[in-house]
Amino acid sequence: MIEIRGLSKAYGNFTAVRDLSFRVGSGEVLGLVGPNGAGKTTTLRTMAGIIPPTAGEVLIGGYDIVREPIEAKRQLAFIPDEPRLFDYLTVRQHLAFVARLYGIADHETIARPLLDELEIADRVDSLPAELSRGMKQKLAIACGLLHSPTVMIFDEPLTGLDPLGIRRMKDSILRRARAGAAVVLSSHLLHLLEEVCSHVLILKKGERIAYDTMAQVHAQFSNGDPSASLEDVFIRATGGSES
Amino acid sequence: MTSVATMARALLYLRVTSLIGRITSRLKRLKQPKYLAGAVVGAAYVYFSFLRRAHGTYGGHRPGAPPPGIPADALAFFPDLVALILLIVLVANWAMPRYASLAFSEAEIAFLFPAPVNRRMLVHYRLLGSQLGIAITALVFTVIFRRGQAVGGNAWFHIIGWWLILATLNLHFTGTAFVYSKLLNRSLTTRWRTVTTIAAVGVVICAVVLWAWSAMSPPTHGDLTSLGAFMSYIAAQLHAGPLPWLLAIPKLVIAPYFASSVSGFLLAVVPAVAVLVAHYYWVVHTEVSFEDASIAKAEKRAARVRAAQQGDWRGQQAVRKARRPPFRLRDGGRPELAFLWKNLLSSSAFFRPVTPIILVAVILVGSEWLVRQPALEPFRVTTTLMFGIFLGVLVLIGPMIARQDLRSDLPNSDILKSYPLPGWRIVLGELLTPVSILVMLIWVSLLAEFLLLPSDRLLWLTPSLRAGVALGLAVLAPPFVAIQLLVANAATVLFPAWALSSGDRTERGIEVMGQRMIFIVGQLLITIIAAVPAAIAAAVIFLLGQWLFGLVIAGALAVAAVCALLTLEAWLGVRWLGRRFEHFDLSAELRP
Repeated sequence: MIEIRGLSKAYGNFTAVRDLSFRVGSGEVLGLVGPNGAGKTTTLRTMAGIIPPTAGEVLIGGYDIVREPIEAKRQLAFIPDEPRLFDYLTVRQHLAFVARLYGIADHETIARPLLDELEIADRVDSLPAELSRGMKQKLAIACGLLHSPTVMIFDEPLTGLDPLGIRRMKDSILRRARAGAAVVLSSHLLHLLEEVCSHVLILKKGERIAYDTMAQVHAQFSNGDPSASLEDVFIRATGGSES
Repeated sequence: MTSVATMARALLYLRVTSLIGRITSRLKRLKQPKYLAGAVVGAAYVYFSFLRRAHGTYGGHRPGAPPPGIPADALAFFPDLVALILLIVLVANWAMPRYASLAFSEAEIAFLFPAPVNRRMLVHYRLLGSQLGIAITALVFTVIFRRGQAVGGNAWFHIIGWWLILATLNLHFTGTAFVYSKLLNRSLTTRWRTVTTIAAVGVVICAVVLWAWSAMSPPTHGDLTSLGAFMSYIAAQLHAGPLPWLLAIPKLVIAPYFASSVSGFLLAVVPAVAVLVAHYYWVVHTEVSFEDASIAKAEKRAARVRAAQQGDWRGQQAVRKARRPPFRLRDGGRPELAFLWKNLLSSSAFFRPVTPIILVAVILVGSEWLVRQPALEPFRVTTTLMFGIFLGVLVLIGPMIARQDLRSDLPNSDILKSYPLPGWRIVLGELLTPVSILVMLIWVSLLAEFLLLPSDRLLWLTPSLRAGVALGLAVLAPPFVAIQLLVANAATVLFPAWALSSGDRTERGIEVMGQRMIFIVGQLLITIIAAVPAAIAAAVIFLLGQWLFGLVIAGALAVAAVCALLTLEAWLGVRWLGRRFEHFDLSAELRP
C-alpha cells in the first residue's frame, strides 16, 4: 500500500531526510518515532504529496505521488499535527466542502457515524473558534476519513485529546487497519504506539536507525531484556540524544 | 540584595535584552535581500517625504514665522489652541468608562503574572516598556511637523516636548482606567459611593458648562469676515469663562514644546515634569486589579496578530458566528465551486447570489426616479461622480482588498495540497470568489454610470455609444480582474515570505514599509505589462475594423479580441500558477 524507496529531502544545504526506504502493507500500522528534528514530519509531508521529494520514490496504493498525484491522493488521508481548519466553516460545512473535493456521493450518510464515533456529532454547527483543541483535532480527522482512505498518515494524532479520546482514537486506528488500511503515525507517546503499531521505524537526523516489526526492533535494542519498553528501545537506539 | 531589587533587576534585564534582541534581529534580517531592498526604498521614501523637507523651510520663510496664509499674531494663541485640543482629548478619555488593563504580551503574562512580582513592579515594567514607543512617536511627530518651525525653538525642544505630552497622556489614560476600575468594582466601591461620585462629577461638569455658556459668545458676522478676525475671536474665547482655568494644566504640559529659548525651555520643563511626576504618583499608588483585563487584552491582541499574519483582517472582529452558506453545495460537480462556496462564506454577508439582483433593482428604480427629478440634478451628478470614483477604486485597488483567495489560504496550503486536485483547479477555485465579488460590483457601478450620466450635457456620448462602452467594459472586466488577482496570488506563491511580511500589519519598521511599496508597485507594473499585448491588438483591430466595417463593428471586434487575449493570458496564468503551487512548500520558503 505504501512503498518508499530511497527518499531524500533537502532544504538547500540541509538534508532533512536521507535515503529512506520502507513499506507499509495492508492492515499494518507503522509507528514513526525519533527525536525532535529527526525528519518525521518532513517524511510524512513528502508521503502526503505536500512537498516534493528531492530524490527517491513514494508509492501510495501503487501510484507515484509525484507522477500520479491525483490518483495517489485519492487513496490517502493526511492528518497534520496542528489541525488546519477554515475559520469560517462550521463542522458540517467542513465536511460538505471536503465531500465535494473528493467527489463523495451522499456524504451525510457517511459523515453521521464518523461524527458519532469521534463524538462531535453535537457540534456540527460550531465554528473552529468555538471548539477545543481536541475537538478541532477530531474535526480534522473526520475530514481526513470521510472519503474512506486506504492509506492513513497521522502526524501526532493524539495531541490535544483527552484520555478517553486517545483510547477511542487508538481503537479507531486499529479498526481501520484491521479493515485493510495501511497506517503510518508519528507520536512521542511511545507507550501508546507500542499498543497500536505492528511495525516501527526509528529516525535520527533524517536517517533510518531501525525499521522492522515491533518485536524485531524490540529484540534488536532491548539487550535481551524482555521487560524493556519501546521507550527503552528508543533511548538505546537513538543514543538518548537528538544529535 | 532584597527580593524586590532582584525582581526589579530581572524585569529591567528582560526589558533591555528584549529591546536589544529586537534591534539586533531587525539589523540581522537586513542580510536578506528582501529586507535590505525594503530598507533602502523605505529610507528613501522617509528621506524624500519628510527629512529633506524638514531641513528646508516653508517656502523660504524663516523659522518661527507662521506658515503662509496664517497671520503672524495667530501664533500667539497657538499654545492655547493646542492646550484646548489636549483638554478635549482628556475629556473624551474620561467619557469612556473601562476596566484597567495594561498592554502585556501573552509571554509576559505567562512569565510575570505567576512570578513573585508585586503589582507596582508590574506597573513600572509596563510604563518603562511604553517609553520606547513614546520616544519613537515623539521623534516621528517632530519630523512630520517639520521640527515645529512655525512655533520657533529647536528640534530637541520639540522631541522632548512631544515626549512629555505623550508620556503624560499615556499615564493619564492608565490612571483614568484605574479610577474607573475602582469605581466599577463592587467589592472596592459601594453602589452608593459610585452614585455619589458620579453625581458630584456631574454637578461640576454642569456648573462648568453653564459658566462657559454665559461667559462665551457666538461669533458675529464681523468675526467671520477674515481669517485674522476669526482667529482674534477664537483668542478672545480662549480667555473667557472657565477655559483659562481648565487649560492651565494642559498648558503646563505643552509649554516645553513651545519654548523658543534655552532658558524658556528650562523654565517650562520643570512644571511639565512636575505634572508628569504627579501622574506617575497617581498611577503607581492607585491600588486596583488590572490582571483580568490585561489577560483578556493580550489574548485579543494575540488573536488579532495571528489573524493578521494569515492576511485575515476580518479576524480582528471580536465575535464570529456560523453563517448560512451562500448556496447549497451539492456532493457532485466541479470542485472549483466548492472553493467559491467556502470563500464566499468567509467574505461579508453582503456578498450573496441575491445581492446583484437587489442592487440592480435599486439602481434601475433609483436612477429612473432621479433622472425624472430636474431639481435633483446636482445630486444626480454627484452620484454619477461617486460611482465613477468607486469604479476606479474597484479596478485599481479592488484586487488588493478582495483577498478571499490563496492569499488568505496560504497557512492552509498543506491541507489544500493534500486534496486530490491538480494545482490549477485549486488556483482557479481560489480565484473565483474575489473575481465574482469585484466583477459584480464593477458591473453594478457600470450600470449606474450608464443610467445616470447626464446625456444632455455630453451630447457626443450618444445612448448607443454609451451602451457600447458600458457593454465593452463589462465584457472586459472579468478577465482583467482575473489577471490582476492572478498577479497578486502569483506574488504570494513566488515570494511567500514577502507576502506574509508585507501583508502582516503587526510587522513594523522602515524595511517592511519599503517592502510593501515594492510589492504593490511590482504587482501594478506586471498587470500593466500583461495588458499591453491586448491593448496593442485592440488598437490594430479597431483601426483596421473601422476602415473595413465601420465604428460599431470595429469596437465590437476590438473588445472581443482584448477579451480573448486577456482570457487566454488568465488561463495560461492559472495553469502556470497551478504548477507552481504543486511545488510550493511554505516551510521551505520561510526558512532563513
